[in-house]
Amino acid sequence: MPDLVFDNISIVYSRRSRTGTTPVKAVSNVSLTLPAGGTLGIAGESGSGKSTLAMSVLRLLPKSATITGRILYGDQDIQDLSFGQLRTVRWAEAAVVFQGAMHALNPVRTVGWQILEALELHVKERWATREARVARMKDLLAMVDLPTDKSEAYPHELSGGQKQRVMVAMALACEPDVIIADEPTTALDVIVQEQVLNVLHSLVTERGISLLMISHDLSALATICDRIAVMKDGVVREVGDAVSICTAATDPYTRKLAQAFPVIGDPASRLKPQSKPIWEVAADGGTDGLEQTNSDPHEVVLEARGVSVNFRSHGRTVHAVRSVDLTCHRAEITALVGQSGSGKTTLARTILGLQEPNAGGQVLFRGEPLKLTKRGLREYRRNVQLVFQDQFAALNPKVSVYESISEGLRIRKYDGDEYAKVCESLEACEMSPASEYLDVLPQELSGGQRQRVVIAGALAIEPSALIADEPVASLDASVRGELLGLFLALKRRMGMTALVITHDLGLAWNIADTVAVMYNGEIVERGTVEKVLLDPQHEYTKKLLHATPKIPTLA
Amino acid sequence: MSTDVIPPGKAAIAEQQDEGRESHRQSFLGYLLAKIGGAAISLVMVVILGFFAFRILPGDPVRKIAQSRPMTAEQIAQLRHQYGLDQPMLAQFWNYLTNIATGNFGESYVYGKPVSELIAQYFWPTIALTGTSAILAITLGLWMGQLAAWRSNSPYDQVATGTSLVLWSVPTFWLALLLLMIFGGTLHWFPTGGMVSTGIPTGTPEYFLNVLWHLVLPVITMVAVVYAQYLLVMRASLLEEMSADYLTTARAKGLTEDLVRRRHAVPNALLPTVTLVFMHIGGLIGGAVTVETVFSWPGLGKLTYEAISGPDTPLLQGTFVVFSAIIIVMNLFADLLYRQLDPRVRRA
Repeated sequence: MPDLVFDNISIVYSRRSRTGTTPVKAVSNVSLTLPAGGTLGIAGESGSGKSTLAMSVLRLLPKSATITGRILYGDQDIQDLSFGQLRTVRWAEAAVVFQGAMHALNPVRTVGWQILEALELHVKERWATREARVARMKDLLAMVDLPTDKSEAYPHELSGGQKQRVMVAMALACEPDVIIADEPTTALDVIVQEQVLNVLHSLVTERGISLLMISHDLSALATICDRIAVMKDGVVREVGDAVSICTAATDPYTRKLAQAFPVIGDPASRLKPQSKPIWEVAADGGTDGLEQTNSDPHEVVLEARGVSVNFRSHGRTVHAVRSVDLTCHRAEITALVGQSGSGKTTLARTILGLQEPNAGGQVLFRGEPLKLTKRGLREYRRNVQLVFQDQFAALNPKVSVYESISEGLRIRKYDGDEYAKVCESLEACEMSPASEYLDVLPQELSGGQRQRVVIAGALAIEPSALIADEPVASLDASVRGELLGLFLALKRRMGMTALVITHDLGLAWNIADTVAVMYNGEIVERGTVEKVLLDPQHEYTKKLLHATPKIPTLA
Repeated sequence: MSTDVIPPGKAAIAEQQDEGRESHRQSFLGYLLAKIGGAAISLVMVVILGFFAFRILPGDPVRKIAQSRPMTAEQIAQLRHQYGLDQPMLAQFWNYLTNIATGNFGESYVYGKPVSELIAQYFWPTIALTGTSAILAITLGLWMGQLAAWRSNSPYDQVATGTSLVLWSVPTFWLALLLLMIFGGTLHWFPTGGMVSTGIPTGTPEYFLNVLWHLVLPVITMVAVVYAQYLLVMRASLLEEMSADYLTTARAKGLTEDLVRRRHAVPNALLPTVTLVFMHIGGLIGGAVTVETVFSWPGLGKLTYEAISGPDTPLLQGTFVVFSAIIIVMNLFADLLYRQLDPRVRRA
């Protein structure tokens, strides 16, 4: 079994624009080695060139990419292979686990068909007949803990974790020596992520397959990989064994990446997301927003009382939310934590008045029951605003930042100084000087900046509470910390009340005051963050905590 | 901002996942009945519209008939009574409805024959012409479209797309006349009109070849004018599909580029074209009116053209209902076919 060696690899994309083609360097002078049977992780944020590097192994890059340097598989330079030779290397010797939860599977073919296709392309003695191939396909599904009748399923009929396991099964089909896993667990829940990582881990150790894994999540890499390389802007910043990268990094960027995901229970990260040096947060957090207002500090802003929601689907009743009680106090951040399918989004919709609860349940705003009339809802939504996960979709791509934010003000017939108000909201979201951003279109902003604009738009109309659905799930680690810092600062400075919906317990540890854990439509545990996360009572909370990948410590 | 809608409850979707496949198969019958019901309602609307639309047309059919031969006032009144035109509008409408229910579209003023008999006689030539044109245009358009997308911005793409657009923008009658003049008139390669030469016994192989020979020019005209829309739809659809992640998966598996295109990209790109292809067949039938008239093809289009100059109201009603019915049936077929082709829609 050969080693995989990147020898001084540089990759340049030629980007076509109106003024001609300009070269864009994605990877610069990278040298890395994946020893036979070893595991190597490449960590980095979007744009770091990590996926480009991984795709270069099987020459899967678009034609606009030019590679210099050598990619050695054993003694053979991959780039010298003819296309026919390359096709025999693809999948039979090196297979890829794509981010299958997204669109890596053909949507109109059954998953069994797609696995069989790989087997038919690389027929070996062990699966020379059709019967043998079908049998092997079923074995593969069993290997990743999927029932064999799932071979008849289409990708859209499977959950994200199941699709990802199909991807793993497909990658293993032709007994490759190397597996390249590109963000194999991104967009999966912690519990499903743990399952997929376990499957990968056991396969790698049991079969001696070499694994090249790419992820933005250092803690996920650290759970399987022996060695980790950290990339930024196309350059490898640091390479080393997993533990020392996570705990004793010499490079400041690596350290920032390692600290972006908090260690639950570590007081250093409690209410202090890694956004800026700690002294700044401390100075910022000195004033308590509550002192500026005369209202009751323990006022309940939002409350759900005995809320149940049923859906009827194909003649069956689905209990999405079952008699839930939830309270959000003034100037507190409440985290609603649960897996997808736990009913947390349905509960949020109900609290927003987008979904009517079953009879008997009630949503209260400042002690008043929510009126589901058009007028009642309009008044209510002036007070309670929503921030989505997807900042790309939440902003109209053709409208400037100023227009996006002022739109809400105009709908509410704001009679003050609109320009001043927009600038004030932007500055509150740490986008200063605000005047520089007013005419900018969303596409010119980074993901983090876009999310700030969305929050600024919500804040402009001075709501009493903010409901945020996975506000940082699609952001890079370093930006994540900054945004969470913003939530904390808004709470402290303006006494903002927030309900944050997330699957990420680390986020709750970072910013929340209280946490509610939701499972199968019920809130199984709630209380202060310290109490719930450090001394969990319910089995499910324990399971969630256990599944959260941890940065290894030397201790 | 506050009126934005969050995606439907994830919980519901997740919990359905396991049993969903059973229940959607059971609901196929319900889907079929709903679609057929919808088509039936459209058809009823067409039948009602068919009556009123042609009463609005200017011109008095009886006076038109009276122009051709000398008639007394009594004879004209007699004719009006015979066609039921002296009755109030509502009574005429009621007669129309009850007759249609029994398959009777009335009697043509011009031909003096039952409309249903005329339509049956002219139906098959139209099917031969539009059917052949549709099959050729769809095959040619989709084939050229997928090649154009696969080699987008290549000289082939530019020539193929450009040519098809030029032909598309050409008026149908102009192209028909041009072909007629060059290949029928000057070169005498093809007949200038009709469906079959006189004196050839029906049902013989010679008859069949003769009809084919007559088909060439009208079919070329129709195909040239419409294949562009199939080409453009397929090109756009495949271009969108070409950046899809699962194609990278297919390449990584070791498929040849040719197989990646034929096995993965094209079948997926075909899906959105299915609905459009069938909807355009309706437009094709509309185009048949021009082509059949220019080439004197004895089909429904020519019949309609002659009926309009009457106006031969019963005949117009008849062809109107038949044309509309073909389009409605095609759309119904497209819906059912799409559901069969795309597993993702079967759930809905």
